[in-house]
Amino acid sequence: MLMYPFEYVAPTRVEEALGLLREHGDDAKVLAGGQSLIPMLHYRLARPRVVVDINALPLTDIAVDDGHVRLGALVRHHQLEESETLARRYPVLAEAARLVGNVRVRTLGTLGGSLAHADPAAELPVAMSALDARLTIASASEQRRVAARDFFTGPLTTALGPDELLTAIDVPATVDYGWAVEELSRRAGDFAIVVVVALVRLDRGGRVDDVRLAFGGVADRPVHARAAEDGLRGHEPSADALTHAAQIARDALDPPSDAFVSGAYRRHLTGVLCRRALARAVDRARR
Amino acid sequence: MIARFVLNGRPREIDVRPEQTLLELLRDTLGVFDVKEGCDEGVCGVCTVLLEGRPASACLVLAAALRGRAVTTVRGLERNGDLHPLQQAFVKYGAVQCGFCTPGMLLTTLAFLERHRHPDREAIRAALEGNLCRCTGYTKIVDAVEAYVRGGYARD
Amino acid sequence: MTETVLTRPELRVVGQPVERHDARDKVMAATAYAADWALPGMLHAAVLRSPHPSARIVRLDTTRAAAMAGVAAVLTAQDVPRNTLSTDVPGQTTSVGPLRATLHVLAEDRVRHEGEPIALVAAETLALAYAAVEAIDVDYAPTAGVFTPEDALGANAPPVHASGNLLAQWRIARGNVAAALATAAVVVEGEYTTQMVDAAYLEPESGVAWIDSDGVITIRLSTQVIEHFRDVAEVLQVPQNRVRVIGTYLGGGFGGKEDVTVEAYLGLLTLKTGRPVKMVWTRHESLLSRAKRHPYRLRYRTGATAGGEIVAQQIDLLADAGAYAYLSALVLLYSSVTAAGPYRVPNVEVQARVAYTNNPPTSAMRGFGAMQTVFGYESQMDRVARALGVDPVAVRRVNALRRGDTLPVGQVLETHVAIPELAERAWAELGPPTPPRAPHVRVGRGLACNFQSYGRIVWLHDWASAWVGFEMDGSLVVRCGCPDVGGGQASSLCQIAAEILGVPFARISVHVSDSALTPLAGTTTASRQLYMSGNAVLKTARELRVQLLRVASPMLGVDAEALDMEDDHVVTRDGRSLALPELLRECARVGVPRSHLGVYHAPAGEPVDLAKGSGKVFPDYTFGAHAAEVEVDTETGVVRVLRYAAAHDVGRAINPQSVEGQIQGGAVQGLGYGLMEEVVLDEGRNLTTSFATYLIPTAADVPDVQAIVLESGEGLGPFNARGIGEPPIGPPAAAIANAIEAATGARITRLPITAERVARALGLFTP
Repeated sequence: MLMYPFEYVAPTRVEEALGLLREHGDDAKVLAGGQSLIPMLHYRLARPRVVVDINALPLTDIAVDDGHVRLGALVRHHQLEESETLARRYPVLAEAARLVGNVRVRTLGTLGGSLAHADPAAELPVAMSALDARLTIASASEQRRVAARDFFTGPLTTALGPDELLTAIDVPATVDYGWAVEELSRRAGDFAIVVVVALVRLDRGGRVDDVRLAFGGVADRPVHARAAEDGLRGHEPSADALTHAAQIARDALDPPSDAFVSGAYRRHLTGVLCRRALARAVDRARR
Repeated sequence: MIARFVLNGRPREIDVRPEQTLLELLRDTLGVFDVKEGCDEGVCGVCTVLLEGRPASACLVLAAALRGRAVTTVRGLERNGDLHPLQQAFVKYGAVQCGFCTPGMLLTTLAFLERHRHPDREAIRAALEGNLCRCTGYTKIVDAVEAYVRGGYARD
Repeated sequence: MTETVLTRPELRVVGQPVERHDARDKVMAATAYAADWALPGMLHAAVLRSPHPSARIVRLDTTRAAAMAGVAAVLTAQDVPRNTLSTDVPGQTTSVGPLRATLHVLAEDRVRHEGEPIALVAAETLALAYAAVEAIDVDYAPTAGVFTPEDALGANAPPVHASGNLLAQWRIARGNVAAALATAAVVVEGEYTTQMVDAAYLEPESGVAWIDSDGVITIRLSTQVIEHFRDVAEVLQVPQNRVRVIGTYLGGGFGGKEDVTVEAYLGLLTLKTGRPVKMVWTRHESLLSRAKRHPYRLRYRTGATAGGEIVAQQIDLLADAGAYAYLSALVLLYSSVTAAGPYRVPNVEVQARVAYTNNPPTSAMRGFGAMQTVFGYESQMDRVARALGVDPVAVRRVNALRRGDTLPVGQVLETHVAIPELAERAWAELGPPTPPRAPHVRVGRGLACNFQSYGRIVWLHDWASAWVGFEMDGSLVVRCGCPDVGGGQASSLCQIAAEILGVPFARISVHVSDSALTPLAGTTTASRQLYMSGNAVLKTARELRVQLLRVASPMLGVDAEALDMEDDHVVTRDGRSLALPELLRECARVGVPRSHLGVYHAPAGEPVDLAKGSGKVFPDYTFGAHAAEVEVDTETGVVRVLRYAAAHDVGRAINPQSVEGQIQGGAVQGLGYGLMEEVVLDEGRNLTTSFATYLIPTAADVPDVQAIVLESGEGLGPFNARGIGEPPIGPPAAAIANAIEAATGARITRLPITAERVARALGLFTP
């Protein structure tokens, strides 16, 4: 359906964009890839007076150094998927991006857009939680950094204020980590019912030195499975240990039901996918 | 607002309203009907165009946001009235029934084959997962793409 | 692949996989679908629809909307010359209720389903039309609604219509079911639930209407039935010869464009404004308000001998008509006639009922009631086989109908029934079993057979006409009122004409689907179009050929019977020939027409009392068998179809490639029905009004469908073809359910078979 009319502005500098957001506040919506915003506007679920198109802002770089990679908020999903650098150093990100939507969503959809939209079942928020990424948030008056794990505050809700813009995402290095992304959808290319991201690093003795585990689709925001992680650290990653960790993670959940999938099934699914993700991550860590 | 873009090789500048999408601009303003309207939310794929060579949903692109980029539709494929070999393959292998999904299938396939030269049938299916078809059941579409790939890219 | 069971005569064009004449335009995106049309001065239309499933309209005020600048018309029920249309509810006795069902073009004082149309707007731009719709002031008083057929038929259910909630019922009885069940070696009881689904064509309902220079209201739209010009004339209260419907090449129909969709609205608005008007439904609007497939509750008690012969079927069917009757009574009839499956069953009892509810209306959809019953009867066949330790192919072979058998409804089958061969071929096509790829994966195979009628009910006296004519230069024109839904309908007509008149396929131009300019051929529904318009073109072309050869005969000095037409020439057996332009000039000279208008009448019959089992209902049936190999993940419940084969006896494949395409497309639509599609309703409110929530299969969800085309040489269509539009959609759901049971032991009896349902059946979690 046709969108309600709005004013359109396309700033070319970050300060300009931030000034516009300060000026318009709740009356404005930020347009990045448009893959979430425009459908909402077509369905008339939102009626912004102003659309601030940020696609001309210089937030498109992928910059790697020893300790981390800095991703501009406007890095597109297909760039995450196709970047050779990321394929070598952060393959979990490349894989998570590959699972986002369909090919057209990945042409234009952005990392920042996916994080700011905060769909509870989206892959990149879960990946960023697992990776313990740090998000840079800018407004006209200040810049601050928020951990990904604190960024998602509810369904489609984040720590971003109406006058703030997500500008960059810093992901700590995950050298020597095995990784896996497991998800299940109702149909190919559809939103995930449940998505699991797992990262595992083993010490020289083959025990779990560090493990990251995060889920999507099981709550109103990504869930970071701390208890399960704690339970695995320092232990042999035997099949039983992984199963046990998956059970701990699963039992801590109380996922919602919707018209299509029940909470009980989501819970069950999480346990299965978590175990599989851990097993694959351990396998990769061993190589 | 002025929408600036290159349509099938031809530079265009059109006056548009801010909320006008590329799909509306093409169909309602320019009378270019090779992109269809199917769902308005980027799921069905019938409005697929190539934006700088990559598939995009025209229903989700604001015309004002085009900023000079190249847009390709199906009529950008023909050369001097001849069908592109992929179009020929679609005709020959019965990959066209009602035809509504066909333009999107063609463009998505060509963009995919730019980056993947020798896909197998499973990879072709995965590449076309974002383009819905309700008539063919997909088998003959995959047949046509596979034949085109086997044919060694008569024209590239 | 296509394989011939019986010898085929020498055919040159028919039976060849010729490139369809519309394919080239479609790959170039040059085909002008209904929405690809604009006229100077054109207005844009929108519809105000009810947000409530059941409510009285307390106040309806269009003043604000009508006063908006750029708004050309705002119409409500009182502006519609004939707002109430009545349709006969066929075959019902007075014990059900009045024989007529009513439908309003626009709601009057109440709404009975979410999405029911209340007002129409035409404005200079679409944005203005939507703004005007929002400016219409409506006050509703919601009333109690009823949302399942069981509730609707219960005591104290709020009546959806004054006539009561039981819309129609059918009963078939033959033999003594109770006695047969009592003595059967095994009785299998099953209750199956099928869901409401949407046609989900990619092209939404669309059209443009205008008044032409002769004052004819012309509506160019995507429709399977151009004869609706009569309904539009009725609504507008104008003479029928003042309304013309031009049917465009559809972007999919599947039964969803069989009823009136946009044409009455367009007619009203163009008549009111005097200007061209365009209406294109959004996907949301289409999913919300277009008629759907009937959900069914199917109860079966099937009795069999120890050797696997079915001795009795006791069947109870209950369907949901939604808020308006549309074609529900007929759909239920199709279900009743097919409920026992393509099997010889001496004792059969079918009780079928369909009830009104405040859910979205249900009507025609590919399969038309004979599709839902497949899930019932094929699940039962498999369970019987399992209970007796008989293999699935064998149990079908033992029970399949044969020529000369009588259907429960009393119809004697005069045709070859290829079920045993089809079942064997489909099963064999799966090849060696795929080993499970992991310890948590099970693999299993399932078979499902079906039969689907083609051609309309015989007491409807179906007919179709066609015009075939030569231009002076020997090029040929075919005109036929047959809408082309994308299955190659128009192209097949050219193939038939090419075969009879010896004109190369590429030298034939075809005009279809125009109620004023092409001879009427009836609806593109009921798998009837190839049968009917194909026969019409065949008959017409043959009659034209006779006419022309009579002129050619003295020119060549040979009897007309010894002449043939080939490659733009009339040819003699001794190798002489006469070019068509020369023949046609002679025809002109002697006053013999170069064209002919022909009519094909389908063999007709008298109405049948189903309960008395007295006779023929459908002209013929198409039989099929599908086999599926599935993989079930026993930890998640996820089902993947690994291999799929679909075999049908099509009599003769006019265009084998088109036939394979129909089989593959129908099978995948059936897999969608089986695995993922569902209109989810919550007290009448539709939660799946987007392609993001109403899921249809993508290329990554289904395997290649191996289409096996058997040609028995028997069929009532041209060159002994049978209809193939609907049959392939029937078996998949049951084939999958049967395969899942083979793999895991779990029997799924409710559609769609989602991963969660399988997980539940496997006891993987506590709900």
